[in-house]
Amino acid sequence: MASKFGFAGGIPERRVRPIWDAVDSRQFKNALKLSTALLSKYPNSPYALALKALILERMGKNEEALSVCLNAKEILCNNDSNVFVDDLTLSTLQIVFQRLDHLEMATSCYEYACTKYPNNLELMMGLFSCYVREYSFVKQQQIAIKMYKIAGEERFLLWAVCSIQLQVCCGNGAEKLFQLAEGLLKKHIASHGLHEPEALSVYISLLEQQCKYGDALEILSGKLGALMMIEVDKLRLQGRLLARAGDYVAAADVFQKLLELCPDDWECFLQYLGCLLEDESILIKDTDPFDSRMSQAVDFVRKLMVEANNNSVRCPYLAHLEIERRKLLFGKGDADKVVEDLMQYFIRVSFLKNLVKECEGSVSGPTKELGQSITVFKIQNSIGELFSLPVNDLEDIAVQMTEMFCKNLSLSKELDAQESMHGEELLSLACTVLVQLFWRTRDLGYLLESIMVLEFGLAIRRYVWQYKILLVHLYSYWSSLPLAYERYKSLDVKNILLETVSAHILPQMLASPLWADLSDLLREYLKFMDDHFRESADLTFLAYRHRNYSKVIEFVQFKERLQHSSQYLMVKIEAPILQLKQNSNNIDEVECILESLRCGTHSLELSNEIRGKSLTFNEDLKLRPWWTPTFDKNYLLGPFEGVSSCPRENTHNQIKQTEENVLKTVEKRSLLPRMIYLSIYSASESVKENLEANGAVVDSKISLELKTLLERYTKILDFPFQDAVELVFGFSSGQKPFEAPSPDMIDWMNFAVFLNAWNLNSHEVKFSDRDPSSTSTWNLVNTMLRKYVMETIRCTGPVVSSPGSHLPFLVQLVTEPLAWHAVIIHSCMRSLHPSGKKKKKGGSVDQSNTQLLHEIQNSIQSLCDTTEMVMKWLREQLDTPDDEKFEAIFSSILRNGRNDGPGKVFKILESSSSLIKDVEVGPRILEAVKSWSPAGDVRKIIAGQRSLLSEFLKICELKLKSLQAVRVQL
Amino acid sequence: MVCIRKATVDDLLAMQACNLFCLPENYQMKYYLYHILSWPQLLYVAEDYNGKIVGYVLAKMEEETTECHGHITSLAALRTHRKLGVATKLMTAAQNAMEQVYGAEYVSLHVRKSNRAAFNLYTETLGYKIHDVEAKYYADGEDAYDMRKQLKGKKYHHHHHHHGGGCCSADLKADEKPGSAETKQSDLN
Repeated sequence: MASKFGFAGGIPERRVRPIWDAVDSRQFKNALKLSTALLSKYPNSPYALALKALILERMGKNEEALSVCLNAKEILCNNDSNVFVDDLTLSTLQIVFQRLDHLEMATSCYEYACTKYPNNLELMMGLFSCYVREYSFVKQQQIAIKMYKIAGEERFLLWAVCSIQLQVCCGNGAEKLFQLAEGLLKKHIASHGLHEPEALSVYISLLEQQCKYGDALEILSGKLGALMMIEVDKLRLQGRLLARAGDYVAAADVFQKLLELCPDDWECFLQYLGCLLEDESILIKDTDPFDSRMSQAVDFVRKLMVEANNNSVRCPYLAHLEIERRKLLFGKGDADKVVEDLMQYFIRVSFLKNLVKECEGSVSGPTKELGQSITVFKIQNSIGELFSLPVNDLEDIAVQMTEMFCKNLSLSKELDAQESMHGEELLSLACTVLVQLFWRTRDLGYLLESIMVLEFGLAIRRYVWQYKILLVHLYSYWSSLPLAYERYKSLDVKNILLETVSAHILPQMLASPLWADLSDLLREYLKFMDDHFRESADLTFLAYRHRNYSKVIEFVQFKERLQHSSQYLMVKIEAPILQLKQNSNNIDEVECILESLRCGTHSLELSNEIRGKSLTFNEDLKLRPWWTPTFDKNYLLGPFEGVSSCPRENTHNQIKQTEENVLKTVEKRSLLPRMIYLSIYSASESVKENLEANGAVVDSKISLELKTLLERYTKILDFPFQDAVELVFGFSSGQKPFEAPSPDMIDWMNFAVFLNAWNLNSHEVKFSDRDPSSTSTWNLVNTMLRKYVMETIRCTGPVVSSPGSHLPFLVQLVTEPLAWHAVIIHSCMRSLHPSGKKKKKGGSVDQSNTQLLHEIQNSIQSLCDTTEMVMKWLREQLDTPDDEKFEAIFSSILRNGRNDGPGKVFKILESSSSLIKDVEVGPRILEAVKSWSPAGDVRKIIAGQRSLLSEFLKICELKLKSLQAVRVQL
Repeated sequence: MVCIRKATVDDLLAMQACNLFCLPENYQMKYYLYHILSWPQLLYVAEDYNGKIVGYVLAKMEEETTECHGHITSLAALRTHRKLGVATKLMTAAQNAMEQVYGAEYVSLHVRKSNRAAFNLYTETLGYKIHDVEAKYYADGEDAYDMRKQLKGKKYHHHHHHHGGGCCSADLKADEKPGSAETKQSDLN
């Protein structure tokens, strides 16, 4: 059974080589021809079949490939002693099965082969890799142990140990399994010792996981310790173990040694100081040890300074500052001295920087000055000082920043367009200051200026990602989402950045009418994540093969981190909801989509899976602008709350709040597809019930399930079911005052829609004791939708001059609750007129359906009116000539003799093109500055708004048309 | 204060962001993962005081040739953190690990002929010498200096890896074409 020389999978190599060559050169048609010929000679060779399957898969013929694979598998597992089985055959099949998402079939082939040929290491390794790909930690461990027993090799033992660690860290394994792993290792070491550095790290980590720090330290200082090749790595580990064991004195000693070797290791210094002060346990309360230990640190740092003859070493100098800072915190410092030390430090650092530049032969005083000014601005910004300045001063700062940028353009004369320019940060800083001015004064001019400084910067250098991210948020806020999306696309977000950066645009897109773009975004993201998960299985095995055991664990944990990503889950749930929205005018399509989602249970299962597990949040929040620290918070939507409300202070709480909200939102959204499915069913049943009044059994299971889901839904909204019903009736009857449009209201309207669908069958909501005007749940839905559209339109100004408008709310209202309600109506109508025409039996619709028909008629009329109301508003917005809009926006920054208010920054930017000279900045920058068009920026904003409004109008028109078509049927 | 430490798998998130913000291009994630899972001792990151990654070095071992040697695949440092010796520290850490863990005889790298700043760093600060010129090495047709630095070359110790023919190495060849394996020179110091 072993591969014979010159044979591949039992076939002479000369016969298969041409096929390999054809596959390698992507000539799949030719490869297929050759493989068919090969099969005619070896019709029962699993390898020949595996090759054919591989080619078919590459050609995209997945079904054929699978059937050929299954054929090969059958022959393989047929217990026929004439059949040739080897690793090449199995691994080829494995590749195809994996690509076809049937890992388990590849595994079962290997399992069979391993039983047939016990003790074959090659096959066992193949089986091990199958289990690795499936993350079957227990089975991995079992087969690794078997291999270890056969071959006695260290690596197999470590594969087993890793598999055990994975069971505990990423599976359901109990911690006592660590003991088992430790025992295995101990026994092996006693007889064979250890030979790989990574094996030692695994052993130490195993002991650390069991809090056996003493044992770990003993091993590290013993013979095995020599396996650690890098001395400082060993010291670092020793220091950490000692600190965790609570031996702070010894740990401080080790860190001190480490600092002598690496005087510029800041982290090490912090650990050293931490150990001296016993940060980990109780802070030293007495003065005595504090003083003596601090003076110990002072002496040591002084020694480091003397010894550090290398001028570029900064750590000891910073360490000195840190010590003084800690003294201050302890109440034993001298604030003036700290300030003085701080000054000394900066003088030293800037002196060094200058020295470096002099060596490079580019003494640049202005560059240094510019750098210092930026540092001052940044410090002002980071300590929140900018939030406490009066408006006038704040404006002056924005002006200064912009001026400084323009004046220093000449410093970047020689730079390549791809290189960052000097003072680039000034424009981002100016932008955030201007946004703050807008927040405080609500003067549109500041908002426009905040955009202009960035567009000006991008005209000069189009690569600045900071500008682009700020613009994404500003344009989104100003209802120019298509333009925001354009800026986002220019960031060229791909790979893992899809996970960490796409949240800048995704939430806005989810509530927008830009369905085609949204669909691209979701698809691209899901493709990246799913591809990664497919690849990561192979990569894990790579770490095993390279004996980087600690990386195996790290990598599997990393995979889990991505798998539990809140964004991943959200997108998996939102993608089908988008499809439902896109097809909501065609009930057959809606049913098709729901069917592919296993009648909506798919999303439910997704959210059930994560219950109890914690989600991960991988968005890089530090990249977000101050006014929107998380996707669901935008300070600009509310009033300025005075200097006390510096948003930065609240960021931490805000993030926590958002993470909690995400869990709720995900669960809430995951209920939608199933509720839609059940509502459709319930609606059609209600008609059938009426048609076949005698004898038909109403499917009460549907009713019950829908009610359970409704109860779950209201629970997420923090209301018991009965109270929730009361509440929506309160909303519609006007007993409850109109609330400002919010995402919550969309949830309540969705609830009302599904409540009505449920009530069609259950008839549990009674009306006798209610407001006589709300006579049915149909009416409830109609009123609620109409009322909220009316009120929202009433309080929404013209989109062009009302940033942060309620447009997303209206979009959601029309594309969700209103759309779902229309789907329910479609379902009723389809049951009333099965063939799309009037039912022949009984001539007209059954008598008992008259009431229902009446309700439907009313509801259609109401939905049409509501939709038309939105359309009328949209047309008004669209009918305003662009020039008029342009005037409205642009005039906000024209000063026309005014002395206060926005326009100063604009003036600087505008005049820069005439002030800047070719000789100073070079032709590239000059041309870029001249190409910047402020009027163009304004027109782009207007065009973006226009395209957003038109997309929405299109959706409304189609909705109206489909409703009118149903009305005709009546 | 910037710290130099070994990279972890989790760092890949921030490393890739760092790459995006250094230059308007970035690598496939598989490329990073391949490096960290194969030669974890050769990846270092520079971390700012607030946990932000401001630079990194990616390196690998070439074991197919007779002389075991290391190769610097990618080096990046954020412009905001230049002139702090970040690149030098990263390079030194990777070179030491090549020498001490893998017993590398020498270390090689490629640099654009036009990239004076990076060239100076390699020759003057780090002691690299021009070994050869590779014509049209980069995608845009520019030549590269093939630079080398001799290491003390401890003898290859027992810690031996089995590379080559791996499940990923075949796929990865495609990524390692000239141009994608470019050192981030414009942001070096």
